Amino acid sequence: MKTKLLFTISFLFLTIFIFAQTTISGKVVDQKGKPVTGANIYIDGTYDGATSSETGDFSFETTSTGNQFIVISFLLYETFKKEIDVTNFKDQTVKLRENVNALDAVVITAGTLESGDKARVSVLKPLDIVTTAGSAGNIIAALQTLPGTQTVGEDGRLFVRGGEASETQTFVDGIRVAQPYGATTNNLPTRGRFSPFLFSGIAFSTGGYSAEYGEALSSVLLLNTQDEPDMNKTDIALMTVGLGLGNTQKWKKSSLSVNTAYINLAPYQAVIPQNVDWNSPYQSLSGETVYRYHFTNGIFKLYAAFDASKFDLNQKNINFEDKVRTDLNNNNFYLNASYKGTFGTGWQLTSGIGYGYSVNKIKYDVNDVDNDENAAQLKLKLRKSVSDYFKLSFGADYFITKFNENFDNNGNIQTSNGYDSNIAAFYTEGDILFSKNLAAKVGLRLSNNSLLNETNIAPRASIAYKISKSSQFSFAYGDFTQTPVVDYIKYSKYHQFESEKARHYILNYQFTKPGQTFRAEAYYKDYSNLVQYDTRDIAYNSVFNNNGSGYAKGLDLFWRDSNLYKNLEYWISYSYIDSERQYKNFPTMATPSFIGNHSLSIVTKYFITDWKSQIGFTNSYSSGRPYNDPNQTQFMNGKTKSYNSLSFNWAYLLTTQKILYFSVSNILGSQNVFGYDYAKLPDANGVYQRQAVVPTADRFFFLGFFWTISKNKNDNQLKNL
Amino acid sequence: MTKIITAFTLFICSLLSAQTQFEQGMGKAFELWKEGKNAEASAMFERIAAADKTSYLPNYYVALINTTAVFTEKDKTKIDLLLTKAQDALDKEIIKDQNNAELYILQALIYTGYVVADPMTNGMKYSGKVMEAYAKAKAIDPNNPRAVFGEADYQLGGAKWTGVDTKPLCVQVDKAIELFGTFKPETQFSPKWGLERALEAQKNCKK
Repeated sequence: MKTKLLFTISFLFLTIFIFAQTTISGKVVDQKGKPVTGANIYIDGTYDGATSSETGDFSFETTSTGNQFIVISFLLYETFKKEIDVTNFKDQTVKLRENVNALDAVVITAGTLESGDKARVSVLKPLDIVTTAGSAGNIIAALQTLPGTQTVGEDGRLFVRGGEASETQTFVDGIRVAQPYGATTNNLPTRGRFSPFLFSGIAFSTGGYSAEYGEALSSVLLLNTQDEPDMNKTDIALMTVGLGLGNTQKWKKSSLSVNTAYINLAPYQAVIPQNVDWNSPYQSLSGETVYRYHFTNGIFKLYAAFDASKFDLNQKNINFEDKVRTDLNNNNFYLNASYKGTFGTGWQLTSGIGYGYSVNKIKYDVNDVDNDENAAQLKLKLRKSVSDYFKLSFGADYFITKFNENFDNNGNIQTSNGYDSNIAAFYTEGDILFSKNLAAKVGLRLSNNSLLNETNIAPRASIAYKISKSSQFSFAYGDFTQTPVVDYIKYSKYHQFESEKARHYILNYQFTKPGQTFRAEAYYKDYSNLVQYDTRDIAYNSVFNNNGSGYAKGLDLFWRDSNLYKNLEYWISYSYIDSERQYKNFPTMATPSFIGNHSLSIVTKYFITDWKSQIGFTNSYSSGRPYNDPNQTQFMNGKTKSYNSLSFNWAYLLTTQKILYFSVSNILGSQNVFGYDYAKLPDANGVYQRQAVVPTADRFFFLGFFWTISKNKNDNQLKNL
Repeated sequence: MTKIITAFTLFICSLLSAQTQFEQGMGKAFELWKEGKNAEASAMFERIAAADKTSYLPNYYVALINTTAVFTEKDKTKIDLLLTKAQDALDKEIIKDQNNAELYILQALIYTGYVVADPMTNGMKYSGKVMEAYAKAKAIDPNNPRAVFGEADYQLGGAKWTGVDTKPLCVQVDKAIELFGTFKPETQFSPKWGLERALEAQKNCKK
């Protein structure tokens, strides 16, 4: 009886105990003490909880007892979890820490223009590469509408902030591409080798970049292949300039994309008047493939590209009475294998190998020039996420380049030049987030070049501070070194050259709102150790030294907006640059011929729903470029007239999967002059005659039909155009 | 004997009360949602999800509430946060069960949220994924009205841009409405939404 009573009592007590309600209350605030509204507060494992009010206050009752875990979660903040005594948690203030992984945390933006999925602020959207009038699917041409680049129409490569084209390095999935451009010669513009279709992200840095990247004085272009394609499909392209065929297959853990294209400019050259005589039109056969395999903790990618191109033409040359013939054959192969994965706690591993092989056979007048380059890179990078606030990365690179060139004038001169270069580099870099508003990156790169027999240490540092929800400042500083270009070092003897050097200072301001981005960037670049030579042309008997120097300073502005008018997107880039150098065979400090002081690009895109069309205009302007007139005493005293080109494109959706695309460049037919070539010797009157360097044709036009075959009827090739 | 009976009753009681607790909690969350208190409803579902890991429904509704909020959200900066939250909640359930058509339908809806937020940037990227998710849902449950309707509705939404023929899509909408008529949700809280939107789409089809 006694036990029964005891049981009943204890049972009753227990029941009361179980159902006793305890009140939990308090206030949720952020680090500044401001109330946090909408936070979810609850006792872990129970249904008891509440949402914080507008004043951050909360109060709820719980039937749980003793020590429990209280959880406070809100998207923008780190989840707060603490063991509490439920009877004793009243009117407590809980401070939530900002989640630095949240999307609005500060990122260092000095020098970097990003595009793609992972970019927090995209200056270019993936589609832009192909829908920007005048770009014709050329990644490089689309990038030339961004600030900090120079339009150098007779070259086609990227010239960044007073740097030569060779000062920009291209990386695919973190591995350098030794030969990123199609082969060309004698003032014929080239284009990027890569079709935009296989890349999901592009980061274009115009300076101050990470210690991970070396051997680039001015700029790096980082292209990342897609991790995962959308679906199985076949793409067919019929164009006035050739044919294209692509196929993508997706399996459970892997996928394969293959693209091939045959380009022949004969029809275009027949329709549009050309400024040169073509013996055989520009032709190329190219193919690209990407294979991806997903492991549980990582992804393996294999990218391979092959490209064979040729052309044959006669060009007027001021030094010869007759036109001079150029016949070029280029074969290029590039392979890149990379693995990126995670292991342990917070470790990330990236490793890869890249190999590029390029062979050129060039006949210029009576001369034969044959060259080949083998270039490889090995790379290993480790990154440890110590906490949300500190990440450390370190890695090593090994570059191997072998170059050989044979020259034969089919007479008395036969020479052979070449070099072997091995560069080993190590780098380390720390990413520190002091708060959501203040971040810094500090790194160091150490490299050793066997050909030059030298070791370089290059420090890099950058810092970003967010002043308000939509605007921030960044500052970047860095030292950069690069082996002199092949034109010089193929004549290298006894480690005679040294690396060329540049130092960057960049101050950046960025303002972003949904649909709007404004950037302003001021920079100063200091060049030293530039190669100089004492002859008219670079030759085996030139005397070289590394005493050249120079500077570049300027201001870049960028504005992109999609809110002004429905279905209209536009951006405006303006660059001002002041740059002088004493390098090559310059007798004094002077502005090199590829620099125009002012550049302006305006890009617009307008979608007309009723017409199922997207129409775009791009206008590129740059002020005159200097040239040297040997008839004048002052060096580089001439200036060309300004450059202007207005391009137009029109994409029309016939049906979802069939697109008609039309584009034409330089509608107004501006007679652009890039510079002047002067005769080597004066004529009978003692005057040096000249000839204008002009585009091979004033206009380019393109008409194409693109057809996608897939199960998903919504996909099309708009993105490939 | 009494002891045994008491203990047994107690056990049953606790079992019952546990069940009603889930029902009560879910009921309360639905009420909040109906009242338009999205954040509170989502928070309630989150608490249930944290306490009761056996049912996929609480996380499902966390994801659904945050995704549908995107379609009416005017502050564009919030869209990413809402969709990230939805995706996180959904991921917790997809990992446990890859054979639930409703989860893939919701996945398609999250991707649709990205497309609606910024068609120029996300249209191309997510369209394939939307269609793929609906295809998975239909492979698991070909007669799920939300899968049939969602797939047709997404393409109808893009029709003015893509110029796709709407007739076969409208046939699918009609079929979905029929399926809604015969659809029996598994439990009182299981997904059963979609008929109203389908009727709306049917009206537009007949225009």
